Amino acid sequence: MIAQVNAELLKVRSTRTTLGLVLGMIGLTVLIVLLTGLLTHPDGLTTKDDQLSLFATGGVALIFSSLAGVLLITSEYRYATIRPTFLFTPRRSQVLSAKLVAGLLAGLVFGAAAVGLALGIGSLILSARGIRSSLDGGEIALLVGGGLAGIALRGAFGVGLGAIIRNQVGAVIGLLAWDFVVNGLLFGLAPLVGRFMPTTAADALMGLKTKHLLPPATGGVVLVGWTLTLALAGLALTKRRDVP
Amino acid sequence: MMKRPCFRRGVRGQAGGPTHGIDDTPMSVARLRRRRSDAHPNGALAQICGIIGTWFVPLGTWSKHLGWVDAFAGLLRKGRGPSLRPDISQNRRTRSGAVVAESLTKRFGSVLAVDDLSFSLSPGTITGFLGPNGAGKTTTLRMLLGLAAPTGGRSFVLGRPYADLDLPALSVGAVLEATDFHPGRSGRDHLRALGRAVGIPDSRADEVLRTVELQAAGRRRVKGYSLGMRQRLGLAGALLGDPELLVLDEPANGLDPEGVRWLRDFLRAFASEGRTVLISSHVLAEVAQTVDQVLIINRGRLVVESPLQELTTRVGGTVRVRTPQPERLCEALGSADLDVTRADHTLIVRAAGTEMVGEIAFAAGIPLHELVAEGSSLEDIFLELTAEASP
Repeated sequence: MIAQVNAELLKVRSTRTTLGLVLGMIGLTVLIVLLTGLLTHPDGLTTKDDQLSLFATGGVALIFSSLAGVLLITSEYRYATIRPTFLFTPRRSQVLSAKLVAGLLAGLVFGAAAVGLALGIGSLILSARGIRSSLDGGEIALLVGGGLAGIALRGAFGVGLGAIIRNQVGAVIGLLAWDFVVNGLLFGLAPLVGRFMPTTAADALMGLKTKHLLPPATGGVVLVGWTLTLALAGLALTKRRDVP
Repeated sequence: MMKRPCFRRGVRGQAGGPTHGIDDTPMSVARLRRRRSDAHPNGALAQICGIIGTWFVPLGTWSKHLGWVDAFAGLLRKGRGPSLRPDISQNRRTRSGAVVAESLTKRFGSVLAVDDLSFSLSPGTITGFLGPNGAGKTTTLRMLLGLAAPTGGRSFVLGRPYADLDLPALSVGAVLEATDFHPGRSGRDHLRALGRAVGIPDSRADEVLRTVELQAAGRRRVKGYSLGMRQRLGLAGALLGDPELLVLDEPANGLDPEGVRWLRDFLRAFASEGRTVLISSHVLAEVAQTVDQVLIINRGRLVVESPLQELTTRVGGTVRVRTPQPERLCEALGSADLDVTRADHTLIVRAAGTEMVGEIAFAAGIPLHELVAEGSSLEDIFLELTAEASP
């Protein structure tokens, strides 16, 4: 199984796709932190909520790690490398489990980069502008720990989604539509339902204080639930369906 | 037909059998083979827990769910697909023969792609699996290799259903499509990733790249490969585990004449070590010089299963003969019940040998200016056999 995970990680590293995603994510994180940190009036950066949302910019990694997870499995179907993969390891559950672990680990790397950058650059900007940090250690720890866990989980979440929707374009569109349209609309129109959506649950896990968000622990449980549900469904379908 | 060395037919042993006598077996692969019997079907979950526990402690609890995930998926699975659990009925589910199909059937909606197909291939042979495009060849291979679940029937590879083999990559090498690569990944990384999953060291990837003469291109991205190079990279993947059975789907597609020659020589050398080859093709001529026996299918049904020699004999050849006395020769051959077509001074005699025609002419005292055995009409019989069932 460790060998299988190693193989999956090598697959992730050996194309430029992952690198492209990481660079895109870093660029976007830095851009948003800089814009928010430098252009906001100092009065808009003093409260806990203001500073939390500045530091939580690293949350853009949620979508990137999900994309990485989706690509981890759908590119195998797109380029039919899934055939040699299953020929070498006919226990499909083993392959999918390894991909879920690889998705988690890749998500962890994505999370570390994005959360670290947002926190580092955000703090530098605050101190350069002479704004005192109003966050305590616990809140920072929750932001970092919850951010890492959420972004990592979303990697596995993407793998599960990709195992269900094997068509790469379909899975990517499905993911973006879910995150940006369904999730956004539901949270805006029916926040009591919308807060159980995967992205809002991940926001909650980071300790954000947006109105209607679940408490961090509950958010974490909800996100784990989503990930498990997708992983389970993906596993069952992968075992059932013929490989093209 | 080339004469083959007589040790060719020596049986190399069933799955997990002795591998001695194969000089090029890499040490690492041989070691893996020995370890195969220790493989623990349930060890995987314990290892997941282990790896997650090591990498990220809080996720340890999550990994327990994976066990539950798998158990639940097992319930949903209803006996399809590979199982994580040891199969206690395994002893009854074995067959001799390198590849065995028993009433294999596959239905896609209203289309019966493979229809009650049964055959058995002996170890140490090269079998050509022939049929026109869409005859069900690839579907059959996918079922043999556990990629598609049959609608009915069963299949066995090296004595067991493919998915039940421990580390099948170490005994079976298969290529289903020459395009099964990520264009942005180098050929070498493709092989390394495949090998890592089953513990084959990276050095073996370099070895097989040399075998298929791709070492120079190994570090380049596959998108820059020609079709012939992709075919060879696919073959390299199949050879990674030093298998005793090769299953190749249309391996000659896209190869230039030199490549076809290379492939033929390679397969001969491979089979001369007592290993088994199953290659599919829709062009008989492509494999006629390589295979010992043919399986011909059409519209999902088996049309012919026979040694190539027998098929050639059954079909007979065509003889072209030129003579200054065509009328007399025509008469002589006609009285021997031979099918003769005349064009000026040249006669075409179907289903006959040069010996027979020459002797008849000699007996009748007819001088011959030319006596040639035309290329066997295997292609004709192939077309005839596969056209029969067409509407």
